[in-house]
Amino acid sequence: MPASQLIDLLLDGMRETLYMTLWSTALAYLLGLPMGVLMVVSDKEGLRPMRWLNAALGAFINLARSVPFLILLIAVIPLTRAVVGRIVGSTATIVPLTLSAAPFIARLVESSLKEVDAGVVQAARSMGATPTQIIWKVLLAEARPSLLLGAAIAVTTILGYSAMAGFVGGGGLGDIAIRYGYYRYQRDTMLWTVALLVIVVQLFQEAGARAAKGIDRRL
Amino acid sequence: MILELRGLTKRFGQGEAVLEDVSLRINEGEIFGLIGKSGAGKSTLARCVNYLEEPSGGEVVFAGRELGKLPRGELYEARRSMGMVFQQFNLLMQRSVIGNVCFPMEISGWKRRAARSRALELLETVGLSDKADEYPATLSGGQRQRVAIARAIALSPRILLCDEATSALDPETTRGILALLRELNQRLGITILVITHEMLVVESICHRVAILDHSRVVEVGEVGEVFERPKTDAAKALVAGDGQAERARKIMRAIESYLDNAGLSELSAEEALRRAGIPID
Ligand SMILES: Nc1ncnc2c1ncn2[C@@H]1O[C@H](COP(=O)(O)OP(=O)(O)O)[C@@H](O)[C@H]1O
Ligand SMILES: [Mg+2]
Repeated sequence: MPASQLIDLLLDGMRETLYMTLWSTALAYLLGLPMGVLMVVSDKEGLRPMRWLNAALGAFINLARSVPFLILLIAVIPLTRAVVGRIVGSTATIVPLTLSAAPFIARLVESSLKEVDAGVVQAARSMGATPTQIIWKVLLAEARPSLLLGAAIAVTTILGYSAMAGFVGGGGLGDIAIRYGYYRYQRDTMLWTVALLVIVVQLFQEAGARAAKGIDRRL
Repeated sequence: MILELRGLTKRFGQGEAVLEDVSLRINEGEIFGLIGKSGAGKSTLARCVNYLEEPSGGEVVFAGRELGKLPRGELYEARRSMGMVFQQFNLLMQRSVIGNVCFPMEISGWKRRAARSRALELLETVGLSDKADEYPATLSGGQRQRVAIARAIALSPRILLCDEATSALDPETTRGILALLRELNQRLGITILVITHEMLVVESICHRVAILDHSRVVEVGEVGEVFERPKTDAAKALVAGDGQAERARKIMRAIESYLDNAGLSELSAEEALRRAGIPID
């Protein structure tokens, strides 16, 4: 394939991959962040211990996380069709990507928030802060660097999954890799695609780590 | 009287009582000390005073209101009239110094500008005007505790609860913090409950003291009275323990100055005793 055509192909794939990844990440945070917060708040050491809710939500998250992505992708086809109107292409892939990433993100958020010093939470309580104020102004605020680092992990993981979705017609760089590399034996194209994926993952990870370090006010 | 504890009891789960029938009356404007050994239940008592921990029995009456009877919203309100200072400072590490001092005002709905200008005044009071825009990580322990104190008094509380506020600080910094507390008490008339395991702290700033021993208050009175004529074994042990430690330090210093005179200044007292075959304990 001529170089200009290859570049166009890769750029298109890249655009689709980023489109899927970033939308899925954003939507997955919309679901996962409140779940993570709820896990921390309802913990037995939390602001409002709720044993059963905590156990049930924890079990649900574990269950959701243990479903292999490709199986989830197929299992949610009815939902995908209902929401998006079709079941192939990058927009359709956002549905299973979001659902599979949300519980993972819930755990990332949970672990970031649990790093916040219990003494600081106690100090805020002693000042008459309400649980809502503590969630926003202490837990989420103090955990910012760690949350950002978690977000970098989330984005790169979702990017990897989006490539996997590409193998079954999900669009993006993964789609290109399988179509040209596997079905048409164009090894160059596949290698370029994979190289591009590696570079994007590195960039996201590095940018996340730097940003996390940059906003952290601890020494 | 600003604070009264009536028969306060606290147990965790099915365990033994950490506080057993504790009754105390703290007068408006005084610096009241609560002293006891590690594990006596001091921090638990501090947390019961503002209901961070719910007592298992008894009552906490603050400014004439029984905290256990207040609905949540009013309890939050009551806590805003009780400042608290901790051993580990517990500052928000992602907020600047002034951000920390503004925090209690922010959560009680102050306007930003008003909060900032009050915060600057408070930083002046604790001697940290020049650190307003720094972050806690860059401050020394003593400076962090000053920020914590400024934050704790931001809402003009009627009482300040200090749980081992100087226990993480060196002796000189401790003196500075104690002087600040005394000044706040004299200038603003703020009542202070000083919780500590160090007799020196109580001796230097408290008017009255209670001794907490194995979950119970065993003695209450004027500081001079309690320390000069301890009635209970726990009080005696505390005073004697401190007296003994002081005596041991004096002896060690005497030995070292003797060694210095004998031209053996590189030898520590411990080492000299070991060489002479004298057991230290
Ligand atoms: N949340 C808790 N759960 C169970 N036991 C506790 C808890 N907090 C304190 N304790 C116990 O209560 C006792 C008194 O603790 P504390 O009030 O911290 O003592 P102090 O501050 O005097 O050193 C200790 O034996 C401690 O293990
Ligand atoms: Mg303690």
